[in-house]
Amino acid sequence: MRLAEKKLELVLAATLLAPLLAFAIGPVVVLLVRSVASLRGEALLELLSADGRRATYNTLTISAGAAGVAFLVGAPLALLLERTDLAYRGVLRVLFTLPSAIPPFIWGMGWLALANPKAGLLNRVLGAGALDIYGPVGIAFVLGGAGLPLVLLAGTASLSRVDPALEEAARLSGAGPLRALLTVSLPLALPALGSGAVMVFLFSASAFGVPYILGVTASPPTVVLTTRIYGQVLLGGPDALARALSLSAVLLLLASVLLVAGQLLGRAGRVRLAAGKGVSRRPMPLGRYRSPLSVAAAVAAFVLVLLPLFAVFLTSVQKSYGAPLGLEHLTFAHWAGVLTSPRTLSAAGRSVLLAGAAGTLVCAFGLLVALSRKHFPLAGRAVDALASWPFAVPGTVMAMALLVAFSRDLRLVLFERVAFVLAMANTLWLVLAAYAAKYLVLGGSNLSESMAQVDPSLAEAARVSGASRARAFLDATLPSLRPALASAFVLAFLACATELTMSVLLVPTGKAVLGTLLFELQSYADPNAASVLACGFVLLVVLALGAMEAVRRSARRRAVGG
Amino acid sequence: MAGIELTDIHKSYGPTRVVQGLSLSIGQGEFLALLGPSGCGKTTTLRMIAGLEVPDSGTIAIDGRVVHGPGARVPPERRGLGMVFQSYAVWPHRTVAKNVEYPLRLMGLRRAEATARVREALGWVRMEALAERMPHALSGGQLQRVALARALVGRPRVLLLDEPLSNLDAALKEELRAEIAALRSRLGTTMVYVTHDQGEAMALADRIAVMDSGRLEQVDSPERLYSEPATPFVAGFVGGANLLGGESGAGCFFASGAKFELPPELSGAEGPGTLVVRPEDLEVGVGQGGTPLTLSARLFLGSSAEYRFPLGDRLLRAIGPPLEARPGETLPVRVRKGRLFRGSFPATKPGR
Ligand SMILES: Nc1ncnc2c1ncn2[C@@H]1O[C@H](COP(=O)(O)OP(=O)(O)OP(=O)(O)O)[C@@H](O)[C@H]1O
Ligand SMILES: [Mg+2]
Repeated sequence: MRLAEKKLELVLAATLLAPLLAFAIGPVVVLLVRSVASLRGEALLELLSADGRRATYNTLTISAGAAGVAFLVGAPLALLLERTDLAYRGVLRVLFTLPSAIPPFIWGMGWLALANPKAGLLNRVLGAGALDIYGPVGIAFVLGGAGLPLVLLAGTASLSRVDPALEEAARLSGAGPLRALLTVSLPLALPALGSGAVMVFLFSASAFGVPYILGVTASPPTVVLTTRIYGQVLLGGPDALARALSLSAVLLLLASVLLVAGQLLGRAGRVRLAAGKGVSRRPMPLGRYRSPLSVAAAVAAFVLVLLPLFAVFLTSVQKSYGAPLGLEHLTFAHWAGVLTSPRTLSAAGRSVLLAGAAGTLVCAFGLLVALSRKHFPLAGRAVDALASWPFAVPGTVMAMALLVAFSRDLRLVLFERVAFVLAMANTLWLVLAAYAAKYLVLGGSNLSESMAQVDPSLAEAARVSGASRARAFLDATLPSLRPALASAFVLAFLACATELTMSVLLVPTGKAVLGTLLFELQSYADPNAASVLACGFVLLVVLALGAMEAVRRSARRRAVGG
Repeated sequence: MAGIELTDIHKSYGPTRVVQGLSLSIGQGEFLALLGPSGCGKTTTLRMIAGLEVPDSGTIAIDGRVVHGPGARVPPERRGLGMVFQSYAVWPHRTVAKNVEYPLRLMGLRRAEATARVREALGWVRMEALAERMPHALSGGQLQRVALARALVGRPRVLLLDEPLSNLDAALKEELRAEIAALRSRLGTTMVYVTHDQGEAMALADRIAVMDSGRLEQVDSPERLYSEPATPFVAGFVGGANLLGGESGAGCFFASGAKFELPPELSGAEGPGTLVVRPEDLEVGVGQGGTPLTLSARLFLGSSAEYRFPLGDRLLRAIGPPLEARPGETLPVRVRKGRLFRGSFPATKPGR
């Protein structure tokens, strides 16, 4: 009987590991090997060349700037939103976390419309040339705003878990409320805030869309690692490929270091946090500072979140990009054009299919991971860790890895009889593999967590009632996992349907998806049409997340009431 | 032929031995209570009968069929049992009726037939009116009724219950206890009932199996368990008796520096042993020749009072007619009746 379980464990581990190795981890290893192998000649030259070093330097400084912006805005916001009686906290919290669900490219588009030196909306108000969003500072600012939720969410989560007794003890020792907050809770939450900032660094170093529209097309251009890799791939040829590979290796190395640093920081913070179960603590009254601070937070939300979105919308209804303001210059022609164009429709169709398939794969794999975690703690945890790794690999690197690993057709011959030909180069299958690999973690983490919460006696009751092991899982356990499955699917679907970084490298010509269409329209052809598409993205994201939240609320209400 | 036959069952989780050499035979239609302190292995034993845990060694037979043993391992779904879980385990995504219907559907019954049986089973637990409710809209007692109906609807020969009433308040407990007893006499199902509440066990069971640290201490009717405990542990756990470790000799018992005169039927004993005396068999303050002990507390119970005397590292409890006495006073205490177990004093403490 022990033997049978061992065998089952092996089979399960193999079915989980095989696709993971083939499509996520293997290719990255291939990329590393290839980049080391070609580390002579061209590749080495690239690392030492002025352009290569410049790109690395830009990536580091821009990412540091973005992390700084996110930390400086996010840390005080976390304190205000989590621990004080700031006005409209609920609305502000939703607004400030919105950027995490919307592709960063769209924030870049919004700021371009607001603050490009020639025709930016803000510049028309403030005077021509007052603001220039192009260049390293602008890129860092936009990425910092887009990454803000990473710091904010880490901070509020950790602040809410600090044992209230610690702060109360400080109060009894004679500290005022503000002092207790700043000397006790803030230092305890600092590692979590710091780890959020490191994640913003990682997010910014991996970003492609924003540095592309705000950097590459500017004069003088600002080139970072991701955009230089993209440029080399476009250039084509073995030399350029070798350069792209070695830059990818540098980016991967940087990402790995950041990931480890962020996790260490996060763990250091967690140790000191007490699980204050259901302790509701009185928010600290801000007194006479309440109004000014509330106004400041509201203005920040307006500038960082609403203004760029409004600019995108305005662009979508302007007759031409940079047209003068005024009702007579507005039109819905772009909307009509984009929504009825066969290009949009076929791209939307492909995206929906790909995102749906990727979401399904993510859920199925997540279910398997959760099951194996439950029954075989050790093997399950290993698979889980492996599955969450691709998420941290920058999209550009992941795409490069898949490009290299599947550039030739692979022949697999089994038992010297059955031959599979894996011809994935230049197909949408490769895109699907990239999407599923990248967002695998959404399934694994979501489902493991909720599987741990399902009362095992539900399945046991089904067993005793006469159900086989599989049937008991389907009838008793799976229904309780439905909310987690749904949210994993929706999140993965949204992420894939709006994905841009990997898509621009992997999607074959003539098979555009929504992400590549948006990228092409914005950078080459028609910013007004691009804005229409961007509005569509935002609507899709907001509606899907809103629906998910509504379902969750009603489920919670049903569980509590009655 | 026995309903359930457990033979020499062993079970460990890693280094912790949870059940050790347990053998138990439960008759057809019998109501057996499995009683013992927390962590003694009751749930584990019940789950091994159900097939939800696998014993390390030993044989389990149900209705004469070996369901676990050398060469036999019947999965839980084919043991034909019913089980009621402490946490109810009512499936939250099915209505009451659909919960109860589930075992019948797996038995392959047609919908019409199943519906009739569901209604009948819900009738047993007086839940017909709530058949279409979802579980989240039920109270704890109602959920436990659904669990009971679901376990019984397939008319299993054996029903296993794991502390089914422990999450309910006292009044509901009383009500459901009566219901279980009534159902049992109506259906004649063999029942194994896990509890750590001796009152519950006494009120319901034909026989009680007392467990401690993974071993069976005694299996007997409630009356015999009370009047003739086989071990000091059983006496302490079931009767709430005082356990005194010490030495007997010359018609007396010496424990923690005190000397007790033994009643005539015990006066022949010699050597180390454990004296077991119920609180009501200790006479306080009357007659002569009692052992002088210092009263530490007196609890007035109405027609009687409980007296507590510190003795060594534990308390001696006595119950008798209420006397005028204050803590700190010295009162004579006499053993009127008791039992002596040979051998040294066990490490286990009595149940309270
Ligand atoms: N999966 C497990 N792994 C390790 N130890 C376990 C496991 N399940 C139970 N045990 C241990 O086995 C012992 C017996 O557990 P069991 O649940 O059978 O006790 P019980 O008599 O039902 O107690 P209670 O009255 O508290 O429910 C306990 O000491 C428990 O800690
Ligand atoms: Mg138990």
